[in-house]
Amino acid sequence: MSARRTNGREPADAGAARRSGDASRTRRAGRIRRAFKAAFDAGAYIADDGKAEIRVCAGTACHASGRAALRTAIDKALADRGLTDKVAVVETGCHGFCEEGPIVVVRPQGLFYPRLTPKDVDEIIATSVVSDGIVERLLYKDPATGEPVAHEAEIPFYKLQERVVLALNGKIDPYSIDDYLAHGGYAALARVLEDDDPMAVIDEVEAAGLRGRGGAGFPAGRKWRFCRGNPGDVHYIICNADEGDPGAFMDRSVLEGNPHSVIEGMTIAAFAIGAQSGPVEGYVYVRHEYPFAVQRLRAALTQARERGLLGEDILGSGFSFDIRINQGAGAFVCGESTALTASIEGHRGMPRGKHIRTVAQGLWGQPTNLNNVETYANVPWIVNHGAEAFAARGTATSKGTKIFSLTGKVVNGGLIEVPMGATLRHVIFDIGGGMLPGREFKAVQLGGPSGGCLPAALLDDPIDFESLMAAGSMMGSGGMVVVDDTTCMVDFVKFFLKFTAEESCGKCVPCRIGSQRLLEILERISDGEGTLDDLERLETLSEDIIEGSLCQLGGSAPNPVLSALRYFRDEIEAHIVEHRCPARVCRPLIQYTIDPDACTGCHVCFAACPTDAISGERKQAHVIDQKLCIKCDTCRQVCKFDAIPVVDARPALAEGRQR
Amino acid sequence: MRRRSRGGTATEPRGSALYEVLKGIDFERRELLDKPRGVGLFDLVKDKGGSYRCYACTLCERTCPVDCIEIDYCPEFEELPFDLEAERAAALATLPGESCGANSACVVGEQPAGFVPEIDMKKFDAVVAGIRSGTGLVQALHSTQEAYGYLPRVALENIAGEMGLPLSRVFGVASFYGQFRLVPVGKHVIDVCMGTACHVAGAPLVVEAFSQELEIPVGGTTPDGLFTLQTVNCVGSCALAPVVRLGDDETIGRVGPNEARRLVRRLRKAEVPA
Repeated sequence: MSARRTNGREPADAGAARRSGDASRTRRAGRIRRAFKAAFDAGAYIADDGKAEIRVCAGTACHASGRAALRTAIDKALADRGLTDKVAVVETGCHGFCEEGPIVVVRPQGLFYPRLTPKDVDEIIATSVVSDGIVERLLYKDPATGEPVAHEAEIPFYKLQERVVLALNGKIDPYSIDDYLAHGGYAALARVLEDDDPMAVIDEVEAAGLRGRGGAGFPAGRKWRFCRGNPGDVHYIICNADEGDPGAFMDRSVLEGNPHSVIEGMTIAAFAIGAQSGPVEGYVYVRHEYPFAVQRLRAALTQARERGLLGEDILGSGFSFDIRINQGAGAFVCGESTALTASIEGHRGMPRGKHIRTVAQGLWGQPTNLNNVETYANVPWIVNHGAEAFAARGTATSKGTKIFSLTGKVVNGGLIEVPMGATLRHVIFDIGGGMLPGREFKAVQLGGPSGGCLPAALLDDPIDFESLMAAGSMMGSGGMVVVDDTTCMVDFVKFFLKFTAEESCGKCVPCRIGSQRLLEILERISDGEGTLDDLERLETLSEDIIEGSLCQLGGSAPNPVLSALRYFRDEIEAHIVEHRCPARVCRPLIQYTIDPDACTGCHVCFAACPTDAISGERKQAHVIDQKLCIKCDTCRQVCKFDAIPVVDARPALAEGRQR
Repeated sequence: MRRRSRGGTATEPRGSALYEVLKGIDFERRELLDKPRGVGLFDLVKDKGGSYRCYACTLCERTCPVDCIEIDYCPEFEELPFDLEAERAAALATLPGESCGANSACVVGEQPAGFVPEIDMKKFDAVVAGIRSGTGLVQALHSTQEAYGYLPRVALENIAGEMGLPLSRVFGVASFYGQFRLVPVGKHVIDVCMGTACHVAGAPLVVEAFSQELEIPVGGTTPDGLFTLQTVNCVGSCALAPVVRLGDDETIGRVGPNEARRLVRRLRKAEVPA
């Protein structure tokens, strides 16, 4: 805490301290230091990374893959051996390696056991907890080499990341403020309060070059300065945790794994913006779809208040700030700042024009600072380590690290934190482990429904705000969906348009009607009934929507279409000219057949077919009645012999066109 | 296909600057067809008698998505061209009963026929307590839905009364957000995740399988009140795609169409009394 105690603001010489202003400041600093120590000591908690501990990942994904049953089994196994008091079981936040859930880490060795089932538990406790062995059969195996990797830190997925925001995710218990304090938590807040210089905090954040992690990348320090400069009865600090992008879950994981870091970041922001200029109030706008995040945040807020780190007169500094939770209700447009404030006020979440910015008139007409979860979570780190250390990572214009949620057809899906400017190839192939076996990389989609799909040719581009924008995509909140050759780009873009057409709030015509028309054109193409004129129509309509929409939902809705036209025009044209879907996804253009040589007549598909379209005797090749087939893909998925190939539905027509 | 010329429109100023150039010109309306956007101006329509039809209700100003309309005092207008109160009274008189803004029966409607559970008003006390402690409308709707599984009309009316808001406003918010349901749900609520990762992994096929097996569309409830099928935008468990959420607690990963059908059959079987 006292690492940077040498700047000019500290009363270094005794003469200065004698002046009355400085004396009261010293008294105040002493008071804060004592209050912080009291908050620290209240739990009588000693962080001991050397003690035996079993850490169970309790993130949403691991919960879905059976965390609760695992926990019961661990508790029982420990109780059977009389170890309940000796070995702590800690439910941590998301470890980030969601593909391998449920995850258990045995400490102090740091042994990493993925994909556990309750029946494995006994063996692990017998070998790794009671004695010092390793259960080799249950270890993670490096897909590249096939070698087992025992320790969490050595797994390539973790080794190649640089975790700043996620540093404590999976290491601390999100329900324990003591754990956070023991790992240096709230020290940044105490320092800021002690120094009592809000402008210095803003300068520091601005010097660090921290840009908003929610998508647009507006410099956070500058936003704080504007907000502070605007007069109002109250200044509002809002944390946007309405992570609406489908396929993005980093904000959820930060809130679930380390809620105190967000609270600390918000409190520092509140101090920087509101201290010495009037009251400040905070809101976290969090999705209702994230019950764990809400639960943990609520617990964290209560604990922070109990310790005097939040609420009235924080750490005896005279500064007051409290945070309320506001839950969203499933509207993507509420990620837009003005729609979000409207939603908190109890209105329909419709954006308004931004000729008056939210930093001047936001929530209830008062100056409002709105940042994303990840942005706030970066703030304590900047205060602790200084702007220079933060700016040392990243590129010239994009500083620090960024968390991506890598999903789709990759081997290692999960949360990945890398410095800005890392290449897509590094993230997808080195850390993400590349494509599933036998599959070829086709595109990566960034930025959710507002972003674009980038082809293999751009894999070596750096990931920063400007490069992505130039390539026709955007950072968004950091969702990264990788698709392979089994995904049809027309169908993929159709999915995004369907999403934006549904989520359009309906205020402006270009977005409300335009996205619907775009979708209809895409549906026509996907049905094999498009014309080449449609491509031009898509382009002009897209431009009109971008230009005529009020908010960024409409302004970026056509991005998937435009990027697909830019990079995957061949594939779209194949639908139109050849009436063929190269990825064999668009239903009117494909048909399911049975390969008589590969079919063993096992009857599995026969039993699974919902429409009884499959006929044939046991041990003899089956056939599909095309009139009854609804192309539901069930037979192909249940077939163990790969005997159900999907072929072009109109081969004659396609050949004719080609000639 | 005609391609509109867009050269330079992004940099040249529009709106007020153009107005300075064009204000003296008497435009024939049809000359504006086929012209690039931005060359024409919006004018107010006049009645045959020469009086403006606009009565400055400011609706266009408030709804214009790009804020290009501004209503200001204009010396050319005769004073009080329009008696707002008289017009409003006349409009209300022509629509007997409930008119818009007060109690919009036209949109709230009656519960559709089908499965309607009993509504226990005791459960509503928690909602009232919440409203009195200062939670907003959206939170009140959340706690109502938690209590009943959906938003019954009587609850919406009570919320409106408690908060002093028009029912239309409460209904407007309730129908805006995707998570609020205005019709009752069945015992098992099946949420199929339609996030990007799930889509890529085949979620549309899963929805379809559920829909066929249950014989209801997305958003529907089976007549026996057992199942409701819904889609959700993203539950954030993308690594397990395609994901299905059963009720509030259970999340099932890696569900294909075949697993979906089996799940329904298993749940149905468990419901049959032994």
